[in-house]
Amino acid sequence: MKRIVRNVALAAASASLGMLAFSALAPAQAEGQLSLLVWEGYADPSFVKDFEAESSCKVQATYVGSNDDFAPKLAAGGGVYDLMSVSSDAAAVLVAAGFVEPVDVSKVPEYNNVYESFRTLPALNSDGQVWAVPFTWGANPFIYRTDKIATPPDTIAALWDPQYKGKIGMWDDKSMLYNTARMLGIADPFNMSDEELEKVKAKLIEQKPLVRKYWSTAGELENLFASNEMWISYTWGGLMLNDLKKQNVPVAEFTPKEGADGWNDNWMIAKGSPNIDCAYKYINFMMSPKGQCGVSTVTGYSATNPVAAKTCMTPEEFKAKHQDDISFVEKLHMWQAPPRIDVYTNTWNAVKAAP
Amino acid sequence: MRASTREAWLKSALVLPPLAWTLVFMFVPYAIMFTYSFYTRKYPTFVPDFQFGNYIALFQDVQYRQVFLRTLKIASLVSLFALLLSYPVAYCLVFKIRSLRLRMALYMAVIVPLWVSYLLRAYTWKTILGSQGVLNSFLVWAGILAQPTDLLLYNQFSMVITLVHIFIPFMFMPIFTSLEKIPRSLIEASKDLGVGRGWTFLKITLPLSLPGVMAGFTFTFCLSFGDFVAPFLVGGPDGFMIANIVQSQFGTALNWPLGSAISIAILAIVLTVISISDRFERSGRLDLG
Repeated sequence: MKRIVRNVALAAASASLGMLAFSALAPAQAEGQLSLLVWEGYADPSFVKDFEAESSCKVQATYVGSNDDFAPKLAAGGGVYDLMSVSSDAAAVLVAAGFVEPVDVSKVPEYNNVYESFRTLPALNSDGQVWAVPFTWGANPFIYRTDKIATPPDTIAALWDPQYKGKIGMWDDKSMLYNTARMLGIADPFNMSDEELEKVKAKLIEQKPLVRKYWSTAGELENLFASNEMWISYTWGGLMLNDLKKQNVPVAEFTPKEGADGWNDNWMIAKGSPNIDCAYKYINFMMSPKGQCGVSTVTGYSATNPVAAKTCMTPEEFKAKHQDDISFVEKLHMWQAPPRIDVYTNTWNAVKAAP
Repeated sequence: MRASTREAWLKSALVLPPLAWTLVFMFVPYAIMFTYSFYTRKYPTFVPDFQFGNYIALFQDVQYRQVFLRTLKIASLVSLFALLLSYPVAYCLVFKIRSLRLRMALYMAVIVPLWVSYLLRAYTWKTILGSQGVLNSFLVWAGILAQPTDLLLYNQFSMVITLVHIFIPFMFMPIFTSLEKIPRSLIEASKDLGVGRGWTFLKITLPLSLPGVMAGFTFTFCLSFGDFVAPFLVGGPDGFMIANIVQSQFGTALNWPLGSAISIAILAIVLTVISISDRFERSGRLDLG
């Protein structure tokens, strides 16, 4: 009997020791292991392979489905992610919450080649620090199935057209409020009054019976289009279009006459990242021709470093991606962080909650 | 003396681990969540506080009421359909199948889907109910429909079907067990006294199986009440459930205090359901010696 008790105690002790050892190892980050929290397409094997070979850093990527995913994932506890690709409108909240490290631009030689209009964005520069390195930008057009919709749509209002009932897609994100506001002719979608938000909310609730699904990842949207569940939707542009064309799904994009959403994505370093060397190596790789054209090829988005892009894009591609004409950006409706972000989030949730 | 001390030691050694487990992984997290529910959301995250604003918001903002009611509706429908499907099957298995081996084989057939991943089962329904899915293809092929219909997937109908399929073993198992425990002698006695089949069922079998029904209903209801994957996979724009709201408060909204308050409300509802069904079960319990 005594021996049994002793054995049980021993087993328990060794189990708890095992747990201790396990928890000591638990932080996902090992030396040279770079953990990314990124949008789909920013850690594609086509270029990550080269990076891993050059840098001896191993890349592990987790994907986000919305700009609102970064802060919660970092708030849930540090020490998991090293590097994030954050759109400019979502950068300020990470800085304010203290989730990110300032960027030492002296370690990023290509930094000064980045378009000035991105580099100097107020959201990326505060307290005398640089918080992010812009690396790609683009517009978010809409796409539609060309075999189901004969005349190319030219307005956001097409997503309220009853003839596409049950075939309409919307992104599960508060930026649907900005689009709808533009369609309704609201002057500043990022500073809407309560009445304006109510109008937008009512319009989106009116649309609900027509909507097939509020999608949240590129993969999901592509499945919905490929399986004929959806004919027309808001999208992230090139990435989805490229993937669908590869699957021989007949799709085309259109930019509505109300204008398209514009955005740019930036590298930000998580606070306390133990892999800071690898993080800088990845940033530098992504700002080099290999990274700039690597992302651009996979996603169809434009490069922020025209010097690098010029060396790896054909002249036609360079022109088609508006690399020679940054004033194109001014025509886009660049995402901004709404000052009343809680009210916006709540409004979008209310739309989803409505019957 | 020594033996009894040892026994006491062993007993506490047996009780301690589960107790510690419950304490560390249930009571402490619930206490933390309860504390958070009084905090205040403040950009960019939230600050410690003691105020009831989060609970008041649950009653004031119509969106939470809408979603609570919808979740109640879905969970009730799922439990109801699971019951209507499980009871006859369990009854058949216990009273009509004489071969023990066959009975066990059929019992396993109902339970086995539990071994298949939840996600896989939900995805299966997607391929069955989709616009180009198995069912639509069949209906069009058979000439019943001229065009594939969109009415099968991405709505509350597909959510209820999927959840019934996923949670039905939790309804079936307790009903089966309670029916199996009913002494046959009671039913034979009833027949011997000249009572018909219908009355025997209503007076003997049904009341004695009620504890199983209540247990099954409770399991199924609570599980589907807290589900957030089905709305995401097979639900449509009107499929947002209460667990999705919790998820979005802890996620995109970065409003952990409100998320905690909603979780406490869910906990209260689930505990109410469990205690009601417990009372029901107790009052219906007969001592079968």
